[in-house]
Amino acid sequence: MQTILLVGSPNSGKSTIFNLLSGGQRKVSNYSGITVDASTGALRSNKLEGEAPIQIVDLPGIYNLHPSTLDEGVTVDSLIGSNSRFSEYHQVAVVLDIQRLETSLALAIQLKELVGEKLLVLVNKVDEQEFFNEEHRVKLEKALGSKVLSLSALNEDQVELDKFIRKNIEGERLKVKGKILATKRSLEYFGKGSEEAVEVVDSEKVVLENIKHYQEKARQILGTVYNQSDRIRSQKTHKIDKVLIHPLWGTLIFCAIFYLLFYSIYALAAPAMDFVDGSFGLLADTVAAYLPEGHLKSLIVDGIIAGVGGVIIFLPQIMILFFLLSILEQSGYISRAAFLTDRVMGFFGLNGKAFLPYLSGFACSIPAIMSARTIPNKKERMATILTIPMITCSARLPVYILLVGTFVPSYTVAGIFNTQALSFFFLYFLGTFFALLTAKLFRLSFYRGQTSSFFIDLPHYQRPRLKTALKQMWRKAQTFLKKAGTIILGLSIIIWCLSTFPTLDAEKTVGLSDEVVASRSLENSALGRIGKSFEPVLKPIGMDWKMGVGVLVAFGARELFVSTLGTIYALGDVDEESKSLRERLKAEISPITGKPVFSLAVAWSLLIFFVFSLQCTATWAIIKKETGSWKYPIYAFLYMGALGYSGAYAAYQMLI
Amino acid sequence: MMPNLLDVKIGQKVRITKIADKNQTTLKLFSLGILVGDEIEITSKALFGCPLAIKHGEGNFFALRKDHAALIEVETIA
Ligand SMILES: Nc1nc2c(ncn2[C@@H]2O[C@H](COP(=O)(O)OP(=O)(O)O)[C@@H](O)[C@H]2O)c(=O)[nH]1
Repeated sequence: MQTILLVGSPNSGKSTIFNLLSGGQRKVSNYSGITVDASTGALRSNKLEGEAPIQIVDLPGIYNLHPSTLDEGVTVDSLIGSNSRFSEYHQVAVVLDIQRLETSLALAIQLKELVGEKLLVLVNKVDEQEFFNEEHRVKLEKALGSKVLSLSALNEDQVELDKFIRKNIEGERLKVKGKILATKRSLEYFGKGSEEAVEVVDSEKVVLENIKHYQEKARQILGTVYNQSDRIRSQKTHKIDKVLIHPLWGTLIFCAIFYLLFYSIYALAAPAMDFVDGSFGLLADTVAAYLPEGHLKSLIVDGIIAGVGGVIIFLPQIMILFFLLSILEQSGYISRAAFLTDRVMGFFGLNGKAFLPYLSGFACSIPAIMSARTIPNKKERMATILTIPMITCSARLPVYILLVGTFVPSYTVAGIFNTQALSFFFLYFLGTFFALLTAKLFRLSFYRGQTSSFFIDLPHYQRPRLKTALKQMWRKAQTFLKKAGTIILGLSIIIWCLSTFPTLDAEKTVGLSDEVVASRSLENSALGRIGKSFEPVLKPIGMDWKMGVGVLVAFGARELFVSTLGTIYALGDVDEESKSLRERLKAEISPITGKPVFSLAVAWSLLIFFVFSLQCTATWAIIKKETGSWKYPIYAFLYMGALGYSGAYAAYQMLI
Repeated sequence: MMPNLLDVKIGQKVRITKIADKNQTTLKLFSLGILVGDEIEITSKALFGCPLAIKHGEGNFFALRKDHAALIEVETIA
């Protein structure tokens, strides 16, 4: 198999090209630092008859061959052959961003010296800058001495690109020429086995001179390729920025955009949710009508349909969230948001670059924690990683929607704000605020140190593509459904078993009403006994054992809270008609006090607990991986759990 | 002393005359292709004046914090 490495400056379109060629699903967004590890994929055209097998490797963006972050280190390591995942490769393709031709070109020249005639040049995004024509391409080819292809990855110039690569790839394994200059300080970004290809220099000056040398060379070459009258067009970006990063207007618009984001998640999804809810109700009724009374019916209706259905209902929200995020990401606005919030990040002792990992944390902590690799300073990186899980990820969304939607009364305040939307906003805010606050505390204690530099490039604005957004939305929907069909299905069955067996002795139930029997058998079940055993801990925060079990199961994944409650409450419900989980929660009456079990205070106690606590085994694993020790996920778990419990306590005591 | 980037108003074009090195400022600027002698323009400042958004050359937009901006000495272009 021939291997070709894809290298380029951040945001030049590498991932788009990678996806185009391999049919892969790398995340594409209009800001730097999204690709933080290497990813390999086979060319789609390998399947065609008579084509040699070729694989392509997408690498994190670099500006030059002198890494100053871990992710840049991955790329440089790969180039010099010390990446253990593919020790040999045959070709390098460098992607040039036509909107930043000068810097991209400097990288190309440096690479050319390293790999010689094995370098292919891809000038990407030509759809944005029409001035770049065939004549320019040929001139560039001459000046560089490498084959150049101009393309638009967004317009899917796949066939041409594929042909270009196939035509120019040559069999022999690539050996780099010369050595890469590195200061002692930057050695930490290189992997093992890189010593041979690296020359350590004493002074930073040497490296700087080197970078400058290539930049100047790039300018020289560009000067011969096109003249002053052919200019990069950037007025559009300049004009939009006058408003969007204006100190006052920009800040207001920023707040409005994020409020609208949360508002639409909750408002737009409502009809779709009702529909899914209704369908599952109908399904349960239909199935119930055909099955004889007994365990099988209970398993299917109360266990599976109530459990899985309770989670699937949140599919519309997940889809809306990721659709809108994709639109924002594609537009180039995200970097502006990082710009506008840098002051706040700086206040909390973080690099403005931490904004992007935090932002991805709203989708899921796992990629977010990985993207913290773009933060150069180790202490800042640790403070970021250990606080990201408090950012409200999309797995919390079902829990929030269930509880807010059911227990927070909906009305309008101050003319335009909806109380439920405001509650969401508050929950998101709370998580974010405490994440930042804890980061600050970390920065003042364990990870004390100066805040490192903040440089961020502001990419040109782009019109978001509907297709990309729909794809992203669909991909997330798939992942979500897969989870519902596997983990959640499996656990729903287990939960059903645990909360059905052991059954009550028949003689103990004589003369009792159906309702009493249902609740007694639940309490008698294995799950009931477990739950009951830690009820004393739950009491101060207003929860009963059923919620406690939900919280416990949610340690596997947060959505499981909803499916677990779905199953438990369905079992406790003796009505013939199947109701939605919301109705059941509202109708649940405490046998002791005779009052509803759920109140606003209980709902908020649960909500606050979910805001903080680190209930996600996948996140534990990724923290271990990124920090290299189990110590850190354990710390994080403990301190977030403590915050969650005390927060829940405070909320409950205040509202009761 | 020469004025630095902090003394420059939004919209004013200036030329970089010197970059004092600290916190790897020079490394980062050079990497982005910003060299001594280049023309730049401040396009905006966030709330409370930090960070600064800058346009460089034909179409490079980037942002940096005040303490870095202070390290960049400039002269105004008439
Ligand atoms: N206009 C235009 N935009 C592109 C093209 N290729 C990629 N992009 C956009 O450039 C941005 C960065 O792309 P991405 O693949 O994530 O870059 P990477 O960081 O180098 O992997 C995204 O917003 C893409 O939509 C292209 O051919 N034309």
